[in-house]
Amino acid sequence: MVVKMVHEKAVIVIGRRGCCMSHVVKRLLLGLGVNPAVYEVEEKDEAGVATQLEATTLSQQGLQFPAVFIGGNLFGGLDRIMATHISGELVPILKQAGALWL
Amino acid sequence: MDSPSSQFISSRRMGVYDPIHQISMWEENFKSNDNNLSVSTSIIEEGDMKLANQIQSEDASHGIFGTSVNYDQGANKLTDKTQRRLAQNREAARKSRLKKKAYVQQLEACRLKLMQLELEVDHAKQQGLYVGDGLGSNNFGFAGSVNPGITIFKMEHEHWVEEQNRQILELRTALSSHMDDIQFGTLVQGIMNHYSKLFSLKSAAAKSDVFYVMSGMWKTTAERFFLWIGGFRPSELLKVLVPLIEPLTEQQRFDAYGLEKSCQQAEDALSQGMEKLQQMLADSVGPGQLVEGTYIPQMDTAMERLEALVSFVNQADHLRQETLRQMSRILTVRQSGRFLLALMEYFQRLRALSKLWVNRPRELA
Repeated sequence: MVVKMVHEKAVIVIGRRGCCMSHVVKRLLLGLGVNPAVYEVEEKDEAGVATQLEATTLSQQGLQFPAVFIGGNLFGGLDRIMATHISGELVPILKQAGALWL
Repeated sequence: MDSPSSQFISSRRMGVYDPIHQISMWEENFKSNDNNLSVSTSIIEEGDMKLANQIQSEDASHGIFGTSVNYDQGANKLTDKTQRRLAQNREAARKSRLKKKAYVQQLEACRLKLMQLELEVDHAKQQGLYVGDGLGSNNFGFAGSVNPGITIFKMEHEHWVEEQNRQILELRTALSSHMDDIQFGTLVQGIMNHYSKLFSLKSAAAKSDVFYVMSGMWKTTAERFFLWIGGFRPSELLKVLVPLIEPLTEQQRFDAYGLEKSCQQAEDALSQGMEKLQQMLADSVGPGQLVEGTYIPQMDTAMERLEALVSFVNQADHLRQETLRQMSRILTVRQSGRFLLALMEYFQRLRALSKLWVNRPRELA
């Protein structure tokens, strides 16, 4: 289910239900004019969802929530979102994925 | 009132010398006590003076010991003068005893008050209230009061500030010299690393006591005025500092403005996350029945919410770090130097302002 969404949506934020950091990611993307899809994970499903998502990526690292997928690929967590936003790299990436229009 | 003979015997046992001796001993004690006791001190000092004057006014040969010798030879032979002197001595001794009693009673009251205050402080600390900087940093065994992680942080932060002050001087010298870019770049990198160090110190401290870091208690008063999630607000700082490093190229000015805007957006997202956290915490503390007046039904949830604060501090510091990095990308090496100098001096000035404020002359009540 979640893997399907990852491939269908330009941008999707996957996070624990009630997690404030997910909320930060969402608000940041909304502030940029992006309307991200959101998938909230229940605590009991966390491990399962993480495994499923890890299978879609080539990365060896364990998946941490909140996780952002752009254009079907794992982009990273809030750290990477922040860093790329500040460096100015995020917006072009979002545009390329079709998540943002001029 | 005691009969003359027993009165005299007791003062003999003490030796009429003793009242003076006692009082001067108490006087020494009083002088090391604080103002609460100053009233009783002055009363007793007065008494002491009076008694001392009385004694001093005695003729040496007709001194007190002379008097007691007279008495030994039979009470009938006491002269009026002697009798009067004895009465005065008895009166002085009685007054001294009363004053001593009053002093001791006051001491007892203070002792009880102190014990009560200690209990209150202890209680407040256990409830997680922040109790004054001085008390928080001593180690007088209040139960669960001293946080070693925070004590360490305070020390390390002090050293950090000292090192930064040294860097300010070094940078000033370097800017007015014709240092080559490579050397200058090393200097700039050193300062950037120093800031990284601060952020990792803060991260460790946040794990120890996130509220301490969030409330900026380690900063001076003026710095705290600008506090945003445990530190400076990057966009605000850029607004102040960028004009100070002119001249800039058009591109640089454009990029700096873009950075300011990005910071603003990131700050807003973090602030909104904080608001949500507050809301959630309020929701978990608010409803439900109180058990025995203290237990919050959803204590575990509430505790989890508070843990999330650590992430906020880390993310805010991460934002600050990235902002500094991005500025160093936008600017040339020398410009970066000027920027960092402006940044460090800004905080140095805020610290100086805080000091002035704290030491400002105040009207005595």
